Amino acid sequence: MLWLCIVSGVQEKHALKALAGWAGQFSSRVFLDTERQLLWLEIGSSLRYFGGLDALVARVASGLKALTLTATTAVAPTVEAAALLAQQPQAPPVLHLNELHAAIAVLPIAHLALLPAAIAGLQASGLCHVGELLTLPRDALARRWGLQVTDYLQRLLGERTDTRIPYRAPQSYHRRFDFAEPVQTVEGLLFPLRRILYELQGYLRGRDAALQALSVAFRHHDHADTALSLRTTDPQRDALRLFALLREKLERTQLPDAVMQIRLDVEHFVALRDTQLHLWDEEQHHDASWAELLDKLRARLGDQAVRRLGLQNDHRPEKAWCVQSEAASVELPPAFPDRPLWLLTPRPVEHLPRLLGKPERIEAGWWSGEDSSRDYYIAQTAEGSRWWLYREAATARWFLQGIWA
Amino acid sequence: MPAPNPIVRLHPPTLLQEIPGIWRGRELAPSKTCSTGYRQLDALLPGGGWPLGALTELIPVTEGIGEVAVLQGALKRLCDAKRHIVFVHPPYIPYAPALLSAGLPLPRVLWIDVSDDENAHWAAEQTLREGAAGAVLLWSQALADRPLRRLQLAAETGESLAFIYRPVATLQNASPAALRIVLRPTVGALGVEVLKARGGHSGAVLLAIGTHV
Repeated sequence: MLWLCIVSGVQEKHALKALAGWAGQFSSRVFLDTERQLLWLEIGSSLRYFGGLDALVARVASGLKALTLTATTAVAPTVEAAALLAQQPQAPPVLHLNELHAAIAVLPIAHLALLPAAIAGLQASGLCHVGELLTLPRDALARRWGLQVTDYLQRLLGERTDTRIPYRAPQSYHRRFDFAEPVQTVEGLLFPLRRILYELQGYLRGRDAALQALSVAFRHHDHADTALSLRTTDPQRDALRLFALLREKLERTQLPDAVMQIRLDVEHFVALRDTQLHLWDEEQHHDASWAELLDKLRARLGDQAVRRLGLQNDHRPEKAWCVQSEAASVELPPAFPDRPLWLLTPRPVEHLPRLLGKPERIEAGWWSGEDSSRDYYIAQTAEGSRWWLYREAATARWFLQGIWA
Repeated sequence: MPAPNPIVRLHPPTLLQEIPGIWRGRELAPSKTCSTGYRQLDALLPGGGWPLGALTELIPVTEGIGEVAVLQGALKRLCDAKRHIVFVHPPYIPYAPALLSAGLPLPRVLWIDVSDDENAHWAAEQTLREGAAGAVLLWSQALADRPLRRLQLAAETGESLAFIYRPVATLQNASPAALRIVLRPTVGALGVEVLKARGGHSGAVLLAIGTHV
């Protein structure tokens, strides 16, 4: 086994857990120590998948950078050795147990994960480096400092395995991000928003999942939360794409007050579609960029502005269609009469244009209490426009309802 | 009125594509077109159809004269090829039964219903840039030249058909569009008059559109 330890500088428990969730993309075995604020990833079994140690370490490093963390990492065959090495800047990776002794012997005793009293005592007895401690007989150490020290050394050197319980990511995703100072501007929200979306992306990769809906809430002092919800056409897990969509929404949102906290919640996950991974096919490519476009349009213009059309089974022209969020494949009933491209809310006609041809009688809706017996005509105005008019049978009044564009 | 861009000849041609706003060597006929479905009109247009990846400006003298019907052949062809048609900011409700009779399946049609020109232009531009749709039809009241120029550039990044419907008042301004057309009703027909065609010449045809009864 090979362990990569991350010293992230992240202190809050919930933020460390989010980081552990993010780390799931690199390893199926993640250890989290919230007291020591450390994170370990078992990477021995992921090396091949990520193309070797250097590639994996570089991926982790650039991921941490995207989270705007200044972290140090180290690689060693035991959990405690990785933690010890990670306290040094740029410690070279140690891959095998037999190289471990040499690598840690020169490190100061003060860096060992022992109780402060034990460290002070060891230093008081003249020990300075780990190597000196390792030369002392274990039973003497145990008698003097208790089993704590020898147990630790055994785990450090790989003589005993660490029996920690791996971190298990939650089934739904909830992340909160607290600000030390209330944030007044939208710009101030963008950085942390992007960061928590990167964490989410890592979590999704780790679960091999994607999402189609997420909600973000901005918590204020004296006002109700400002809530944004995002729905995507295709399953998504790309942080930057989600960020672009949320940013579009956010920049069109009026914040009533400074923001104290951001919350990000995802309740449901879906499988990522293969089409997003393989874009060689022209049609699939168009489908993918089409879905991306729809999301972008919805984010800025709102769901109600991005419309799909449908048919309704009603004889009244104004009820024969509807707006839908998704469009279904439908067909007109056979022998459906010709209809104008533009439909208008009926407006009274003052000067009747020249009527062409015979009327079409449409009677419908009487059962709902609306008497809508109408005679529809095609008409041509003096300017050359073709109109769709009807005469209401009950009142003999004329209305314009359509235009042949 | 802005001075027309000079015709620039540079080699290699890829260089030109990196300089936005400069008219490319294809001052000549557009490289890709989509047949209009009308033989006389195809014969009139450079490249033999509506230009792909370029802006076409349509100026109907009034509404309801077949100003959209003239596109029907091309739009149907795109739908058959599983591409999408986007109506941006149309003046009225695009009526679903009429779309279906015109051979445009509803899942292929998107209606962007916005309240102002700015959002309409933005939506059209995004759609063109993504190259995700087969055709974009935008109704715009904007008189200025700049939004049109932006659209023309956006159109060039993709390979969509890009149509903008503009009011008659815009006729007095020059246009950055690759193709500029005035649509006039005549008796039982639609007059299609090409005012400007990049790589082509002006001219007019009458199409049998709007022959009800």
